[in-house]
Amino acid sequence: MKKISVMMVVVLVIWMASAFRDRNNPFVPGGKDEKMLKDSIESVKAFMKVYKVLMSPRCMNCHPAGDAPLQGDDSHVHTMNVVRGPAGTGLYAAKCSNCHQPTNVPGLHAPPGNPKWQLPPENMKMVFQGKTPRQLALQIMNFNMNGHKNKEELIAHARDTLVKAAWNEGEGRLPPPMTYTAFVAAWDSWVNKGGYAPK
Amino acid sequence: MHQLSRRSFIKNAGGTGIALWLGINIRGNGIITTTNIVATNIIESGNFTPYILVESGGGITIFNTKPEMGQGTFQSIPAIIAEEFEVSLDQVTIKNTNGEKPFGNRQRAGGSSSIRTNYTDLRKVGASAKEVFIKAASARWQVDESSCYAENGKIIHKPTNRNFTYGELVADASKLELPKEPKLKDPKDFKILGKLAKRPDVPLKTNGSAQFGIDVQVPGMLYATVARSPVIGGTLKSFDATEAMKIPGVEKVVQVERIMGRYHSVGLAVIANSYWTAMKARRMLKIEWDNKGYENFNSVDYEKHLRELSGEEGVPDKTIGSVDSLNLPPEHTIEAFYETPMVAHHTLEPINCVAQVRGDQVEIWTSTQVPSSITGSGENDVHKYIGFAPDNIKLHSTFVGGGFGRRLNVDYVIEAVSIAKNFSQPVKVLWSREDTTEFGPYRPMTFSQLKGGFSEDGKLISFQHKVISPSFQEGMNSQFDIKKVDGTMVEGIGEQAYEIPNIKTSYVRADFHVPVAAWRSVTSSTLAFCHECFIDELAHKANKDPMNFRLELLSKPSDTKRVLLKMKEFSHWDEQLPNNKGRGVAQWEFFAGLCAQVVEVTVQPDQSIHVDKVFAVIDLGEVVNPDNVKNQVEGAIVMALGAAVKPGITLQDGKCMQHNFYDNPLIRIQEVPEVEVLILAEGGKVKGVGEPGLPAFAPALANAIFAATGNRIRKMPFDLKKV
Amino acid sequence: MISLNVNQKVYQVDVDPNMPLLWVIRDFIGLTGTKYGCGVAQCGACTVHLNGEAVRSCVTKVSRAEGQKIVTIEGLSENNDHPAQLAWQQIDVPQCGYCHSGQLMSAAVLLRENPNPTDEDIDIAMSGNICRCGTYLRIRKTIHIAAEIQKTKTKTAV
Repeated sequence: MKKISVMMVVVLVIWMASAFRDRNNPFVPGGKDEKMLKDSIESVKAFMKVYKVLMSPRCMNCHPAGDAPLQGDDSHVHTMNVVRGPAGTGLYAAKCSNCHQPTNVPGLHAPPGNPKWQLPPENMKMVFQGKTPRQLALQIMNFNMNGHKNKEELIAHARDTLVKAAWNEGEGRLPPPMTYTAFVAAWDSWVNKGGYAPK
Repeated sequence: MHQLSRRSFIKNAGGTGIALWLGINIRGNGIITTTNIVATNIIESGNFTPYILVESGGGITIFNTKPEMGQGTFQSIPAIIAEEFEVSLDQVTIKNTNGEKPFGNRQRAGGSSSIRTNYTDLRKVGASAKEVFIKAASARWQVDESSCYAENGKIIHKPTNRNFTYGELVADASKLELPKEPKLKDPKDFKILGKLAKRPDVPLKTNGSAQFGIDVQVPGMLYATVARSPVIGGTLKSFDATEAMKIPGVEKVVQVERIMGRYHSVGLAVIANSYWTAMKARRMLKIEWDNKGYENFNSVDYEKHLRELSGEEGVPDKTIGSVDSLNLPPEHTIEAFYETPMVAHHTLEPINCVAQVRGDQVEIWTSTQVPSSITGSGENDVHKYIGFAPDNIKLHSTFVGGGFGRRLNVDYVIEAVSIAKNFSQPVKVLWSREDTTEFGPYRPMTFSQLKGGFSEDGKLISFQHKVISPSFQEGMNSQFDIKKVDGTMVEGIGEQAYEIPNIKTSYVRADFHVPVAAWRSVTSSTLAFCHECFIDELAHKANKDPMNFRLELLSKPSDTKRVLLKMKEFSHWDEQLPNNKGRGVAQWEFFAGLCAQVVEVTVQPDQSIHVDKVFAVIDLGEVVNPDNVKNQVEGAIVMALGAAVKPGITLQDGKCMQHNFYDNPLIRIQEVPEVEVLILAEGGKVKGVGEPGLPAFAPALANAIFAATGNRIRKMPFDLKKV
Repeated sequence: MISLNVNQKVYQVDVDPNMPLLWVIRDFIGLTGTKYGCGVAQCGACTVHLNGEAVRSCVTKVSRAEGQKIVTIEGLSENNDHPAQLAWQQIDVPQCGYCHSGQLMSAAVLLRENPNPTDEDIDIAMSGNICRCGTYLRIRKTIHIAAEIQKTKTKTAV
């Protein structure tokens, strides 16, 4: 009798210890851990698609590393010396909405538009430019760096008008490298499957 | 301004029946002879340029015959007259003329000529008018003329202090003879000239009330936009305007020919009740163009062609001594090839013209540099192209939102009148920024082959400059003899003051179908770059400081020597600069005037060049408005900087590749260096202001970059981030 | 019919709601102080105040401006005496003058939001306004003067 209870305690201890294993390498075949492993792999795969979109000009140009937005398919620094400003809406007579209208202005090289046209503010820059996939994923999943978005809000963000604007790119601009539908599917998959960051 | 007639000026004079016009009599080839007293019958004979109108009611008007395009003639021309006439500009009304015959055939602004070709004569106008009033007053008082003087629009009898205003003396003065050689003021007595003076057009430009051609609104006016051949040199073949005509507000679609010198091209005009509607309709036009083979033209191949042409002997321009007989050893010579681009004028006010045809009369409203060409009866004036007698052409010449030489051309006036013939209402033809960019005219490119050689003892004894380029004269005039040198394309290169015993300048002309035009400082804007950079190369070869090298070539007294000596001091040339900085010098003397510049640059940590400061010394002889001179030189430097470092105009498949400021950018406020201007006005020949500040900048900049980096730049434009 | 409040006056204009505000102001209301330079928001000659902000009227649909407060250069002051206008006149800034309506409208916003602008602030605020005649050095100098004038004026700037 005593031998069986000791073995049960040992099994219990081993089982409990396994619950505190490294999340990135969980493993219990056929169980919750296998699902977690599968999820994490798919999540990362999905993020690599998301990364392609976020680093394309239509998104990255307004998530610059510096104090000025980027412009054009070659992501050069926006002309006319425009700057972020504390609120991300520009400064003085060069505020974003001074030129960028609620809708695209028709014609080549005319300003694209959206009612919310702006950069992230100075105190929450949400920089994409120059980030590796791992850095970017960790940043977006970080409540303190992503504009204080929880998981539901992250999902909702892909439906935001300014995000959608990337696919309303206007004449003469490259759209992001996949359709909006494909992007949203990848975004949802990434977030819902755990928001894992690639290595 | 109405056409002057006896009846109309009596009306202007407030019904008193007497007013006095005073001016200059211009004969023949434009040499000013005498001043003549005015009476109406002389006005009507057209043989007279009335500059001053004095009304017995007290009003004084001074007329400015040089279109105001920012160069300040609205103040400077009247100022010269007012100075001698002893009135302050606050006491007078200034009016711009509109090409009316009585104001003569020199109502045009260009070539930096407004003051330099009229300075003394305008002073004589004012002085002789003043003397006539002194004569009249002294007669009235029965006193000696020498006891009277003029001040602030009055004649004062010194001993008794009695005075008459000019207005009170009009009747008496009109019976007198104007003195032919009036006494001019001693410059030390000047109250206006050479002093700080405000320009009266400035307040009009700070509240939107200054009217430019584009602002003209005539009741019932229609608006037109013209579709022109995208391939330059092409012309209209066929079109379908059905869709365009469906747009509400569209009146008509008509063919219209654009004529600019040798350049003829038919386009399609859409006329509607608003500009925006007309533009909308224009996009709906289905047009087939006959490209005439010009669709194969592209800038890259053309530039190759120019390089190939440089092997030709060309037509000689200036020959001094004998370059060819020198046989200098190759190690004593250097050679270089310089290239410059086409650029656009980009007057900020796009091209526009309003015209209304009423039977055999036409009325025109526009921004132009050449009112006299629009109302004139000369061989090449507009009347010939539009089919109206000069007397039946009435012009309203507005403030000009930038000329820079583009508005010396009247192609857009001819177009507008041609369109207006289809209507009874006035029609405003408006060129968009894209139109203004894509259809030319442009400053032509010039390529230059330069060679220089030294004697055994290191003296520069041989200099050659061959220019390879399209011909401006040929572009303007199909009768131009292309076997002769086009003086415009070699301006200045044989006239610099450097004492070099053997000089050979020559010109090789290249075929070019694209319309070209004078662009501020004309060909000096490109030739000075080549010429003065090469002088620097020669200085380097001789192992000499570039400033001293130039001064050594100027042993005899000359304006250039005087200017460079002043510049050496002004720019602290001999002071050491830190290692990451450099300075360069250049000067240029040409028809418009003389200016030297020193540019200082810094090499940034990322190896890009920052243009820090420009010192400019401008030689004027006489100065009218010193503050305006500084404004002009500062502005010319900004324009020169843009032409040096921003992309130029290129063609591919026959079409202009640039369209608007996003692909043909201009300099903006954060790119401008500090500028310090020194004016030399020590008497002598009067020189111009509008253009001289431009040519010396690019070579001075390139020379500064060489001093700072050791990199020699031989091509404009150059990227300051990558030199 | 579109109702526009321009310089405190109400205008009714029968235009396509997509027509850029610039052409409505110039061709239909008849205020020509606001200029056309490029049509694509590159040059700033068309700058007006829309609820106090310096918008480019060449790309702003008139429908965006309906019912809003529009101020053009003609309405910047009653007597050509906004601190910026006075400063501009003090040192004869303009040459041809065509760009200066836009320059002043941009400068007015800068001066309102930053009564002590540095050269860097000026470069940020004014870089969108092109001057082909090259009066930039004067523009920078005059904005400093305008800031001083503004301090001494009792009237509030626009």
